[in-house]
Amino acid sequence: MPMANEPSKIAQEAQPQVSKKKDVLLSVRDIHKSFGTNHVLKGISLDLRPGEVLALIGGNGAGKSTLMKIVMGIYGPDSGEVYIDNEKVDVSNPKVALEHSIYMVPQEPMLFPNMTVRENVTIGFNARQADLDRELMEVMDQIGWHLDPDRKASTLSIAEQGMVEILRGMMRHSEVLILDEPTSALTFDEVNALFRVIEGLREKNIGIIYITHRLAEVFQIATSVSILRDGIVTMQGSTKDFTREDLVKGLLPPNAGSVKEAAAAQKREIDYTAKPVLELQNFSGYGFADVNLKVYPGEIVGLAGVIGAGRTEMATTIFGRDKVLGGKVLLDGKDITGLSTTAVIGEGVNYVPEDRFRDGLFRIRDVEENTTSALLAHGLGKFILGRKEAERVSQHYVDNFRTKVTGLTQEVGGLSGGNQQKIVIGRAFATNPRLVILDEPTRGIDAAARGDVYAVLQQLRETGVSILLISSDMEEVVELADRALTMFQGRINGEFVGDQITQDNLMSASFGVTGEARSA
Amino acid sequence: MIEKIKGFYATHGQASWNTILIALLVLEFVVFGMANDRFLRPALLFTSINDNLPTFMLSLFVTLIMVTGGIDIQVSSLVGLTSITIGVAWQDFGLPIWGAVGLAFVLVTLCGALSGFLIAYCRVQAMVVTLGGSFLFSGMALLVSTLSKTESYLGISGFPEDFRFVGTYDVGGVIPIQIFIYALMLVVAFILLHKTKYGRKIFLTGVNQSAAEYSGINTRRVIMSTYILSAIAAAIAGTVTTAYLGTSRSDLGGDLTMDIITAVVLGGTLSTGGKGSIVGTALASFLIAFLRFGLPLCFKISTQYLDIPVGILLVAVIVGRSAAGVGGFGPWLRSLLPGKGSDKARSVSK
Amino acid sequence: MQIVKKLLHARGLTSLLFLIALFVIVGIINPSFLSPSNIAACFNTSVVYTLVAVGMAFTLFTGNLDVSIGSNLGLVAAVVGSMLRDGQPLMLAVLVGLLIGAVIGLVNAWGVAVMGAPALIFTLGVNGILRGIMYVYTNGAWVENLPKEFKDFSSVTAVGDLTVYYCVTILAVVGIHFLLTRTRRGRYFQAVGDNDQGATLVGLPTLQTKVLAYVICGVMAAIAGIIFASRIGFVTPQSGDGYEMKAIAACVLGGVSLLGGVGTVLGSAIGAVIMASISYLLVFMGFSSNYDNAITGVILIVIVVADALIQHRSMVKNRRARLMARVSQDDAADAGAEKGGDAK
Repeated sequence: MPMANEPSKIAQEAQPQVSKKKDVLLSVRDIHKSFGTNHVLKGISLDLRPGEVLALIGGNGAGKSTLMKIVMGIYGPDSGEVYIDNEKVDVSNPKVALEHSIYMVPQEPMLFPNMTVRENVTIGFNARQADLDRELMEVMDQIGWHLDPDRKASTLSIAEQGMVEILRGMMRHSEVLILDEPTSALTFDEVNALFRVIEGLREKNIGIIYITHRLAEVFQIATSVSILRDGIVTMQGSTKDFTREDLVKGLLPPNAGSVKEAAAAQKREIDYTAKPVLELQNFSGYGFADVNLKVYPGEIVGLAGVIGAGRTEMATTIFGRDKVLGGKVLLDGKDITGLSTTAVIGEGVNYVPEDRFRDGLFRIRDVEENTTSALLAHGLGKFILGRKEAERVSQHYVDNFRTKVTGLTQEVGGLSGGNQQKIVIGRAFATNPRLVILDEPTRGIDAAARGDVYAVLQQLRETGVSILLISSDMEEVVELADRALTMFQGRINGEFVGDQITQDNLMSASFGVTGEARSA
Repeated sequence: MIEKIKGFYATHGQASWNTILIALLVLEFVVFGMANDRFLRPALLFTSINDNLPTFMLSLFVTLIMVTGGIDIQVSSLVGLTSITIGVAWQDFGLPIWGAVGLAFVLVTLCGALSGFLIAYCRVQAMVVTLGGSFLFSGMALLVSTLSKTESYLGISGFPEDFRFVGTYDVGGVIPIQIFIYALMLVVAFILLHKTKYGRKIFLTGVNQSAAEYSGINTRRVIMSTYILSAIAAAIAGTVTTAYLGTSRSDLGGDLTMDIITAVVLGGTLSTGGKGSIVGTALASFLIAFLRFGLPLCFKISTQYLDIPVGILLVAVIVGRSAAGVGGFGPWLRSLLPGKGSDKARSVSK
Repeated sequence: MQIVKKLLHARGLTSLLFLIALFVIVGIINPSFLSPSNIAACFNTSVVYTLVAVGMAFTLFTGNLDVSIGSNLGLVAAVVGSMLRDGQPLMLAVLVGLLIGAVIGLVNAWGVAVMGAPALIFTLGVNGILRGIMYVYTNGAWVENLPKEFKDFSSVTAVGDLTVYYCVTILAVVGIHFLLTRTRRGRYFQAVGDNDQGATLVGLPTLQTKVLAYVICGVMAAIAGIIFASRIGFVTPQSGDGYEMKAIAACVLGGVSLLGGVGTVLGSAIGAVIMASISYLLVFMGFSSNYDNAITGVILIVIVVADALIQHRSMVKNRRARLMARVSQDDAADAGAEKGGDAK
């Protein structure tokens, strides 16, 4: 890992140097974008040169994906310009971007599941099929990947789907290739293969924008780096000028330190002689195996790991969403293994889903309906809905969490990400659980809202509820957890208490490395 | 403009939509009443409701289905199945008339349960299942009619008076009894959808089935139950209409799909599910019934042309709503918003 | 697993086998069925269904559907029929008919593809409007006394007992099949239905493709209407009623998915033959044609339910296999040992 030899270039409103060189492939200037009241991009400027691998990093919700979707013409910017080869281009739809040799490999591969690999890669080209087939084979040879071109896309693994997306980009002779968190679903071997491909592309003078949330990768593969936070570029420059600590500084909100201290001050003594609230014994299911863990009364246990490590699968299996393959789940000593979701909620466990849009929010329904949805199974009257009670509960959580709403009848679709998340968290606690599993509770929400959510969690633990906190954000685990576990490839591979809970330790264990952080 | 509609809908919602529907109803009364004052005679108005009674009754419970995000195009075939089953069971099997009615109810409820089960538990699109159901159940009605010694085109008639009572008795000599039956169904549907926990579950299931499952709601049971309720409504409609007309026919009910869907959609129910109102549906069915009644009476428009205004109403409402972003494009655009992406596999429920 | 995938892949073939099996079974029950003229009759009667089903398949490929084709067919049949009755030249009448179909397709495309209205509801409304227009146009009367040559042409045979209409239609369908599967743009229809956003992202003209699908569907229904008038010889105000449902059923029978992206026009053409033959076959099996609808309904439901169950199972299996592949087999943190392998 490179060390800082010269002062880092930190600037709150970084001004990129005016592009004097002719060879700027892509340049965006002062891009602004809002969705409703949510101001996602607040004046972003970036340059990309041939052979450059620009790492674009930032927390979830920092605006990386939005910026790239603007470059690709999926969204129009509210203001600002896009220059391609020093020429101003109105990228009104993806076709324009493709014509200007820009290709984005989206985070979730956008394949045609019922078509073959060949069709997926070559669709949309105007050349003869035979020529395209030959070129496809050449490209695959070139990068050393071999996929059966006649396989249906629906049979491909996530990693293979990502490969098809990259093949698409290469077949288009793209000069600019945007990779949106390409490694999030890959194994180490696949990541290394991908990095070799990127090296190859770089030598061919292709410009690459590499979006990631993993700092280690920045030093492995990127030549330059830009950090986005809350819609602005907080730092940019050549990778060799930065240390990992510099990058962390750029990612953190200016007042992060004080929040941390405040949180640390609140850490309490946990009685580890008490009977655990939740105990997993050799718990196995699809995506995880042989998990043993205990959560004690009033404790916040952090469960760190990379995306895809099996943590969400474990949580949803406890919650009755998937089949248990072995082992036991004990709640206060009572066996609740394999119960239905309704029954699990009744027993006193609730879960805040990782993807709040897909599994959490009822967007076109109001605050009250969202807050009390999990109460319907066991409360709020026998047949006729107890509306008074529902309103009382909802008002309680709106007040306690200081959720910004115009009233209980406001539709939650119009709230900001942070307030939406407070409502989903409120729902989980409204059922008076003994244990709440929070899955990535601050994903996609801004720094201020994050602080609010942390305050809410600290407040809730005071009531004696135990919390299992699943998070890929190591800082979050460090701040909140009394005890931290890491999961790697479906198994618990580390436990940390007290001073051991550091970002480095958690990160290393999450990547299956014990001791020194792994470098490229 | 579109933003304004959208904003209006978001802030005022169903209440103001109902006000618009009431205003349109008043407008109908004014226009039709001025053109021909016979339109305002209660007896004639009641007749117009009687003639459209299946639409009135069915649209109430199809509203529940559409709020869950489903659709039901088989329900009108169940009206005919009810009618012919009553007739054949009574005339040819020798069942007492109310026994025949009971048999028809059981049969039709099972039909609804079958479709509901396939939709909810086998995850087949509601449209295809109920399309198959419309073939199957109208075919079954035809087969039942062949069990009778009466030629099917004649229809079975001669029902006893105590059965015909439910379709012909006028309360106080003015108001047909079936209006009261409809009113009762309206109240039941309203309470179910808007006042009970069950109704709340219907709404939540329709907005986001996955989130409803994560809230501990048994969404499949909720979905299946709505198809059963709609089948029961079809059984009631079939019984009352048979009693009203005095004949039992396999093709009774005909094809009401467009009228039913128009009533539900015009009443404010989102075709994508998650929003809807029983009062809105009821108002919209009155609007359609009076349109179908008033245009021929007051403007000498042939009844056969009446699909045009109803169709235009349906198309206009659905396009207007899509343009306002309440349905249609909205969800697609939102699905592209940042923060939605997840590389984790979908959770599959047991 | 592999067998299931192959079966799914060849759903069009399965429906052909189903059709052949149907013929064989009926032939065993009643050997007098197995004459060339009877079998040809099954195909000949399917010509109108085939046309509407192939048109419907285009909208289904793109993930939409069109239930206005019934009235579209009826209206075109009435207009073309009355023009011919009044002595207008055939070419003009056909041209007007096709134009009507195309305009209807454009209207549907506007509502669904441009305005984003739900396809079923929008086209249901258009269906009602067209039916009303048909009443206005015909005044509720039958269109009769069509020119004799026009009617007689429907029974002119080309190959054996197969009519010119069927032969031309099936040749056209085969041609369309090859255009769809072998040309660049032909694949766009299914690509759009398979993954709408993905299609936009690789620069496919998604909107134009959806519009084109509706126009083709409308024009196919119009052609079906013209042939309907020729075959039946008169047009009633109810003509074409319910054909939209038959067309969807034919497509589903032929392996076209209502979720978009899957199926072939050949499959839907075979499905149309099955749909058209059921009542004919019933007669040979000694049943009354009263069983027609019930049996159609049962076949339709069984096929879609089986499809849905198989697909759901394979989806769950794939997902679980993928998840299992992520779990390391031993506790050693040997990162290289595991590959995010493909579902096996």
